[in-house]
Amino acid sequence: MLAQQFVNAISLGGVYALFALGFTLVFGVLNVVNLAHGAVFTLGAYAALQTALYFHAPLPAAILVAAVCSAGAGWILDKLVFAPLRARQAPHLAPMVATIGVAIVLTSVVEGFFGAENLRFPTGILPTDTLSLAGLHFTWLELQIVSLAFLLMAVLLWGLKKTRAGRALRGVAESPKAAALLGVNVEALLRVTSIIASLLGGVAGVLIALYTNAVFPHMGQPMLHKGIAVVILGGMGDIRGALLGGFFLGFAEVFSVAYIGSTMRDAVAFGLLFIVLLLRPEGLFGQAAQRRA
Amino acid sequence: MEWLESFWATYSTLVLSVGTNVLLALSIYLTLACGLLTVANAAFMGIGAYTAGLLTVHAHMPFFFALLCGSLLPASIALLIGRPTLQLSGVYLAMATLAFGEVVRILILNAEDTTGGALGLNGIPQLTGWFEVALAVFLALYVLLALARSRIGRTMKAICQDETATELMGLNVRAYKLFVFVLGGALAGLAGALNAHFTFFISPNEYGFERAVEILAMGVLGGTGSPWGAVIGGVLITLLPELLRGLGHYRPLINGVVLILIILYSPRGIWDLLRPARSVRGPAAN
Amino acid sequence: MLCSIKLISAMKIRLAIIALALIAQVVSAAVMAAEIKIGVAEALTGNASQYGRPIRQGIELAAGEINAAGGVPGTKLTLLFEDEQGRKEEAINVFKKLIFQDRVLMLFGPTLSNSAQASDPVAQAAKVVVFGTSNTADGITSIGDYVFRNSVTEADILPVTLKVAAQKTGFKKVAVLYGNDDIFTKSGYDNFARALQALKIPVTTTETFAKGDVDFKPQLTKIKASHPDAIVLSALIAEGAPIMVQARQLGINLPFIGGNGMNSPRVFELAKDSSDHLWVGSPWSVENPAAENQRFIAAYQKAYGTLPDQFAAQAYDAMYIVNQALRKMKLTGKLAADRKALRDALPSVQWTGATGPFKFRQVAGRDGKPAGYDAVQTAIVMMTKNNKYVIQK
Repeated sequence: MLAQQFVNAISLGGVYALFALGFTLVFGVLNVVNLAHGAVFTLGAYAALQTALYFHAPLPAAILVAAVCSAGAGWILDKLVFAPLRARQAPHLAPMVATIGVAIVLTSVVEGFFGAENLRFPTGILPTDTLSLAGLHFTWLELQIVSLAFLLMAVLLWGLKKTRAGRALRGVAESPKAAALLGVNVEALLRVTSIIASLLGGVAGVLIALYTNAVFPHMGQPMLHKGIAVVILGGMGDIRGALLGGFFLGFAEVFSVAYIGSTMRDAVAFGLLFIVLLLRPEGLFGQAAQRRA
Repeated sequence: MEWLESFWATYSTLVLSVGTNVLLALSIYLTLACGLLTVANAAFMGIGAYTAGLLTVHAHMPFFFALLCGSLLPASIALLIGRPTLQLSGVYLAMATLAFGEVVRILILNAEDTTGGALGLNGIPQLTGWFEVALAVFLALYVLLALARSRIGRTMKAICQDETATELMGLNVRAYKLFVFVLGGALAGLAGALNAHFTFFISPNEYGFERAVEILAMGVLGGTGSPWGAVIGGVLITLLPELLRGLGHYRPLINGVVLILIILYSPRGIWDLLRPARSVRGPAAN
Repeated sequence: MLCSIKLISAMKIRLAIIALALIAQVVSAAVMAAEIKIGVAEALTGNASQYGRPIRQGIELAAGEINAAGGVPGTKLTLLFEDEQGRKEEAINVFKKLIFQDRVLMLFGPTLSNSAQASDPVAQAAKVVVFGTSNTADGITSIGDYVFRNSVTEADILPVTLKVAAQKTGFKKVAVLYGNDDIFTKSGYDNFARALQALKIPVTTTETFAKGDVDFKPQLTKIKASHPDAIVLSALIAEGAPIMVQARQLGINLPFIGGNGMNSPRVFELAKDSSDHLWVGSPWSVENPAAENQRFIAAYQKAYGTLPDQFAAQAYDAMYIVNQALRKMKLTGKLAADRKALRDALPSVQWTGATGPFKFRQVAGRDGKPAGYDAVQTAIVMMTKNNKYVIQK
């Protein structure tokens, strides 16, 4: 059983990490706790679902549509909500409350169009074979999710380190004023970040919807809770941290179910979060920054 | 009078909810006014609700005693976790208090034998009337307005502006922060105790993430410049769904849109729109 | 001479017209139906709307049929729908509005057991019949004698399901998996636990999950390691379907024994290729060949384009049950008296509808005195096979 639980932990960790990547990006660069990330995640899942259902499109096409839709949502989010609030020098909580409103709007639109029931992707869109290796069971999809999480992290890290835009982004994250003085187009970069983060969220939505066989309007909510925990554990704004935090949470949850008891599964996640925050607020893997009071 | 009777028969729960929501908004106003983003008030509300509810249902204690315990227990817990938690700031504080809230909710859920777990606590006597709620709101407002004017209030504003400077002046910043956190916990617990006694039934899931987010929205929407902002926020969030009832299917959608519009138009909350314009942002509250 | 004749004729014509008008008024007053206002408070938005909408449709369908057939002579059923959003505060507000402002004769709802615990006392205190079609948890009908429901509680069905399943599959020991944060699944679990104990079936391990969870592999892996012969599952379809899929993915090919929540044709879509060997008991089955049921299924499909589920069926029957009570009583036009008369007429109603033969049974309140009314119906035990529920005798 231990070995299978190990495999379970890795795939759960991959799921969490995938969601957290986009979430942490928005916080790191735009300095906003984007509570609409769960809703964008849901939007991506529905976009892909409808494409697959009505156009009988193959999976890559559906994912592409999801990516475009959620990127669009990210663009709208920045243009209509974040940018105006930046312009008005709003207190830093205001964008967060605005994203609450956005989440409500997106969720109710989805529910209005598609109903509150669980839906699923048409079968055959993805090979559902279970691979059996040495008595361990896992699916193709789980492998893909985990690999994709690593791949995306690598791409993001490379982008941030090696490309000019990436370096500019890090500059903006550090100090928007300094970056502006150096001639960086801060507004454009922030918009691009919002787009990329939402795109990541939407794609995560499709994959996780496939993994769990469930698409429903409130699917983003529990993911958001866990996503917040992951991002804190890994260090806010830290890409590697999102990945490591995701796996850490996945392991913590799976092994607490296996050896403590499934009723305490969420308590373990949040209890850990609480303790980590008290002892090491920059997260288990984050850089020690001036985050303490 | 007949009109009043029939109005009360239909809308009494709504009016009482406005009252308890105002209390909740006030409980978060204290800490928000200082940039302390604590989201534990939903959990404190839950603790207060369950304490008072269990006392009246199982121990048949008098109402005022139950209300008292319902405020004191969350306040004591706030005292306990406040000290380590308030060392954090910004989003980290928010997340720590959020995590705390989730742990509380799960503990209540699992303590089946005492709290009934997922099945909830049923048959809570209807003891809350307009008098109790009005009295609670009045007292809370009075205390908070008085505080804002007092030395404590001025110290809080100073902490808001520049914590390090205030500390350097010899003031025990930690103690002040703890004070507002504990007071907030007591108010939230009171709100929970009152709420439990006009809704017959409570369950752990009511005091989780959604409630915490709702309380936060009330505080931010109303504005953190003054306790009156909290009042506005509480009233608005409670009445908005009712006012929009005619919209049927579109109600949640319009609810969200209104929220966004308010924040966009007045990021500092509605109170900011209503107060007379000032040229200098001085430290005095009134 | 001519003038006076014309005058008399004109007057006669005028008189005739007046007389006709008066007669018409009297006739139309008799023909104009008295309106019976019935409130329907269900979750029409929000997560619970996936149950609330079929309920609304079931009641609407029944009311439409009753009105078309003439209904209670001289009256017409008018349904007033309100959205309680699956939230208890909303349920209370909506109940109060329907009772005091709209002055309904009785009301159906609310959708969730949680909401019922908070809102039914309002109806009881106001002495208005509240009829739940989807509330199955404990502590609801014990609120008082104005509380009725036709949703059969798990306490009555689960022992039957377990016995039949044990007989047919021969399982000796089971593992149990349930949602511990939802009143429906938790109360289902309590009933399963009691039934398992009464039948002396050992439990290898008990695991839990929370609403909204999407990953059940850790729990299922632990269950697999404890080597049960079957898995008892108290879940709603939203979690239940992924649980079945993930179990099959982990190589667990045991039968599942489900509670009420798993009785939905949607399990075939959501758990495609993994939905076989699910045992469920319920008074309603889409496969039940009884005439009333087939008629209902056809009418529902025609009106709404999908197959009905258990929620719709129970709501449909509930409307007919109330109609039976309405036929037995006399409407006086005085609201308080009519509301009481309806309450007095309901308990003795017996009806055979889509869910089979039905009657009420009074239960005791928390103080031991007689209180509300539960449903008495026989359960049909089914097992899923090849995307169909197959009835097991």
